[in-house]
Amino acid sequence: MALIEVKNLVKTFDGKAVLQGINLELSEGQSKVLMGASGCGKSTLLRCLNLLLSPSSGQIIFKGEDITRPKVDIRKIREDIGFVFQDFALYRHLTVEENATLGLRKLKKMKMKEAVEKATYELERVGMFEHRNKYPAQLSGGQKQRAAIVRALAMDPAVLFLDEPTSSLDPQMSREVVNVINKLFLDNITMLCVTHDAFLAKYISDTIVFIDEGVVVAEDIAERLFYESADPRIKQFFMSVIDHR
Amino acid sequence: MTFWNILIILARGAGYTILVTLASISAGLAVGLLLAVLGTMQHKAVKLFLAAYTYIFRGLPVLVLLFIVFFGLPGIGIRISPFVSMVLSLGLISGAYLAEVFRGAIAAVDRDEILAAEAMGMNRAEIFLYITMPQMFRMSVPGMINEFTSILKYTPFAYTVGIPEIMKEAMSLAAITLRGLEIYLAVGIIYFIIYKLFVLLFMALEKRFRIPGLAPE
Repeated sequence: MALIEVKNLVKTFDGKAVLQGINLELSEGQSKVLMGASGCGKSTLLRCLNLLLSPSSGQIIFKGEDITRPKVDIRKIREDIGFVFQDFALYRHLTVEENATLGLRKLKKMKMKEAVEKATYELERVGMFEHRNKYPAQLSGGQKQRAAIVRALAMDPAVLFLDEPTSSLDPQMSREVVNVINKLFLDNITMLCVTHDAFLAKYISDTIVFIDEGVVVAEDIAERLFYESADPRIKQFFMSVIDHR
Repeated sequence: MTFWNILIILARGAGYTILVTLASISAGLAVGLLLAVLGTMQHKAVKLFLAAYTYIFRGLPVLVLLFIVFFGLPGIGIRISPFVSMVLSLGLISGAYLAEVFRGAIAAVDRDEILAAEAMGMNRAEIFLYITMPQMFRMSVPGMINEFTSILKYTPFAYTVGIPEIMKEAMSLAAITLRGLEIYLAVGIIYFIIYKLFVLLFMALEKRFRIPGLAPE
């Protein structure tokens, strides 16, 4: 059974359908990357999946439960979905460690010692332990994004959503973050990532889902989608995002 | 009686001045915080109430409100002690100003952080408590210091309702000795010292809780 199953998902803004019937499945331990031109609905889809945006119609089945039905416990679902944002969105008044332990202490009601132990494990996993007492303003972009990943992972989510995790970073910092996400991929962390970064997509995905104008056009492994697709929309997109040097 | 003796006699009233100031600061913070929390709600009636509150209490002189509370309310059977009348009047007015300071600070909290907290599973109250409020207080420090010192400067009005603070002591002393210039100069010096101590205390607190990147250093 799939961890997440999306059935005919539609999202409209002011009468304009951004998602026009998305169908998608993500199994446990699987990592998929959502790609497509700007404005195709990738980020909207990600935000619909943890109900930061309410879908207009369609179904989202998460762990066997339809989370689009009324009176669903949104809080419990969100606790189970880690979310990493493009612009990090770290809490500026908290240190890296406090960012990672806040959800554990306040939402999961974990004791401080236990929360710190959990955070320490995740900080070490992404090479951020030595920066645990720094505030976000004292970190580089790459470190901020790694801290954001730690914050999401600390909650032990069933799935990790990443919304353009490298697009605010310069190439060197981007590489730093790609390595971390690749490590998570190799650890079989279930992930759904939105990106324009073909390098990231290749190294962290089982398959890439290509979206165009709010519908899934194709889903395949990176190599085939990058170089062998006959669809002109896909060919044109990857011609523009792949560094051919 | 030397100038030094005058200073010592007046300093006895300083205790009341500090007490009225601290109590009024607490009342102002409570009112300001309540108004700031209400300000985060989208309800039309709440917004109308806040606009009316701010409009009225920012336009009302402290002395007028104090007289309404202390001398006016007994007319309808409500008797309030001088100390509570003073604290209530200053608290209600400074609360209106502090609410504006807090409102600005709340608006400066990064929307992405709120979104991240929502995505984590926090509800509105938790987001306010753990994300918005700690940042709001830190970003409000300059505005709060400004308002707190205003409160201190309004405390001489306490003498009009019989609180034995510095000003009341000074007036009694001036009436007996007829050395008004020295006595009121001494009052000024004492107020300046209290003001300076308050500012130093607030600055030390601000420094202690300062966070890199969150407020001007």
